[in-house]
Amino acid sequence: MRARAIVLIAISLIAAGCRKKTVPPSAVDLQNKVTVRSIQLFYESPALTLVGEQRAVSLPENPAAALPLILRELLKGPATAATPRLLPADVTIRGAYLLPEGTAIVDLGGATLVAGWATGSHQELMAIDSIVQTATVNVPEIKRVRILVNGTPAETLGGHVSLARSISPRPASLVVSNR
Amino acid sequence: MKRLIAAGTLLALTLASIVLAQSPGQATLRLAAGDRPLTYFQQGPVIFVSAEEVVLGLGGTLTPDSSGYKVTLNNVVAAFGSDSRYGVVREDLIEMPVVPVIVDGKPFVPWQFFQGLLARSGDLDAAWDATAKALVIRPRQLNTLSAQVTLANVQGISKVVVTLSAASEYTILREPGFYTVRFKAALRPAVAEQAFEDPFVAKATISGTDVRLQLTAADVVADAYQLDAPFRVILDLRKAGDSAQVVPGLRAPTQAVEQPGVHTIVIDPGHGGKDVGATGPNGLMEKEATLQLCRRLATVVAAKTGARVVLTREDDSQVSLDQRTSIANQYKADLFISVHLNAAPSKGASGSETYFLSVEASDELAKRAADTENGSAVMSAVPADDLKLILWDLAQQEYLQESSRFAQAIQEEMNTATGVGNRGVKQAPFKVLVGATMPAALVEVGFISNPDEETKIRTEEFQTLVVDAITRAVVRYKNEYETRLGIAQPLAPAPLAPAVKPAAAAATTATVPAPARTGTK
Repeated sequence: MRARAIVLIAISLIAAGCRKKTVPPSAVDLQNKVTVRSIQLFYESPALTLVGEQRAVSLPENPAAALPLILRELLKGPATAATPRLLPADVTIRGAYLLPEGTAIVDLGGATLVAGWATGSHQELMAIDSIVQTATVNVPEIKRVRILVNGTPAETLGGHVSLARSISPRPASLVVSNR
Repeated sequence: MKRLIAAGTLLALTLASIVLAQSPGQATLRLAAGDRPLTYFQQGPVIFVSAEEVVLGLGGTLTPDSSGYKVTLNNVVAAFGSDSRYGVVREDLIEMPVVPVIVDGKPFVPWQFFQGLLARSGDLDAAWDATAKALVIRPRQLNTLSAQVTLANVQGISKVVVTLSAASEYTILREPGFYTVRFKAALRPAVAEQAFEDPFVAKATISGTDVRLQLTAADVVADAYQLDAPFRVILDLRKAGDSAQVVPGLRAPTQAVEQPGVHTIVIDPGHGGKDVGATGPNGLMEKEATLQLCRRLATVVAAKTGARVVLTREDDSQVSLDQRTSIANQYKADLFISVHLNAAPSKGASGSETYFLSVEASDELAKRAADTENGSAVMSAVPADDLKLILWDLAQQEYLQESSRFAQAIQEEMNTATGVGNRGVKQAPFKVLVGATMPAALVEVGFISNPDEETKIRTEEFQTLVVDAITRAVVRYKNEYETRLGIAQPLAPAPLAPAVKPAAAAATTATVPAPARTGTK
């Protein structure tokens, strides 16, 4: 029995040793080249439109690698307490894919969204718009955003706005000047 | 110490079982150019194949990126990660039975990933041959039309949609227990046989030139019509003699009298049951306030218009968004109004606003569907769910102009009567409006998150103002619509204000087929 256990441990250790992820050097170089950039994060203004907040963030140059970091920065919330947070505090970015055709897939997580976010259509629309606006303004390759929840398609975030299709940025009239 | 050894042994056994379960074996990648070795493993019923080996065999590239792996094949880029059982390609999702896994640093995906990818990236098919342990990649048969059957989610009426990759002449045959759609072209089924848990359709079988629907009862009848871009034959199945089936909890609709005009109005109190909606700072729940408002609204609208008024819920029950629209469709309603209370993180947010559906996203799908029909893509480039969505999107798209008029009337009356701020008429992709086959609008009466408006909404006086305002809007719209039909005289000298031009409606209405609802009610 003891010998069998040792054999099994040995097998697992050998197998673990073999699990070395191979990543092409070029991709590693590109993704790891980090610079400090000024990005705009969109929150709600007192006029109930979106307003951009400038923030300096260290980001990889690769847009696909930068996208999830930009969105995670958005979820940290606005710099001033006077500006409200649009998404629930426990929302996370599980992942974000960038496709060459201009569609970004943003995968959200968090207990509130999974359980059903009880909010009004205004906040739900603005929360979605803040993600879409932040993604499209900071990553010019992105034209539209498809939102998933916990890795799967969701009907809505809060019972109103259909997430069945990708969402484009809202008209410029709904976004006020940057500050 | 003993406990530690036991825990270590357990961990080792667990690790070993994972490793052994994922021990790769040798299969075959069967290509037109010849066979290639393919590393695979099986976990339960799921076959995982080496993504790298398949992609290279197909002449594509596989590269890791920040959140998974990117596949480039025939200029189409797809992505998958080990945290989701959905791959992505263009705007579509490729569903896999389980998430991909990384074994020895190499990604393995359920073979269905390649089936989904190839369906969207060229003229190849993928299938797993369990006997030969081979992933078979073969050209699609070009002399046949791909065919797909979906059962759209319309309660009371089973909407069977037969979608082909190109148009074909057809006849519909009625045999005891069956409807058969017989096409001139030979069909290549996406799925040869599908069973449904449906009141009217037990099974759909695609074989040769026929799509055969096995019915659940002898007295099921169908209305059939055709839509284009993509080419579809739709059968609306129902029980003979019923204009619609009864929805549990609602009164049975009486036999519909087919007359033009507004005769049936469905009012939808937002949220309900576990879905409380937004909650005000002093505890007022949206689901309660909307129900209270809508009950009163139903009574007053019925009295003022003489129309049959149906509520999507009459108590604190939970009704899905699709079901709300389905109820309106089932009752062949002439107007649909969903009533909500708004919420914003800013306590000062106030005012009412009225929405009708925006269809920007469906324009892209409609275009892709049109491209499909023009032969620039294969039909299966549009997955079944999307086809259903196109159909539902088109349903409301047809009524966008009328919906905008209705929304405008509501907002004007709310603005005049209630004294809350006017936030205007807007468009958004509200789920509850998608698929409504009648003019439809969603009104946000006020902000429940604003303490002042929450207090107002509780009062009978304010509720009366809201009910009267919406009722006047319904009466105005009904009269304006029926005047345009030539069956009524204008009520007031001032006509309705010009409707808000629906975004993208002009660009898409040209592709909308003749309405299934002919306006002969």
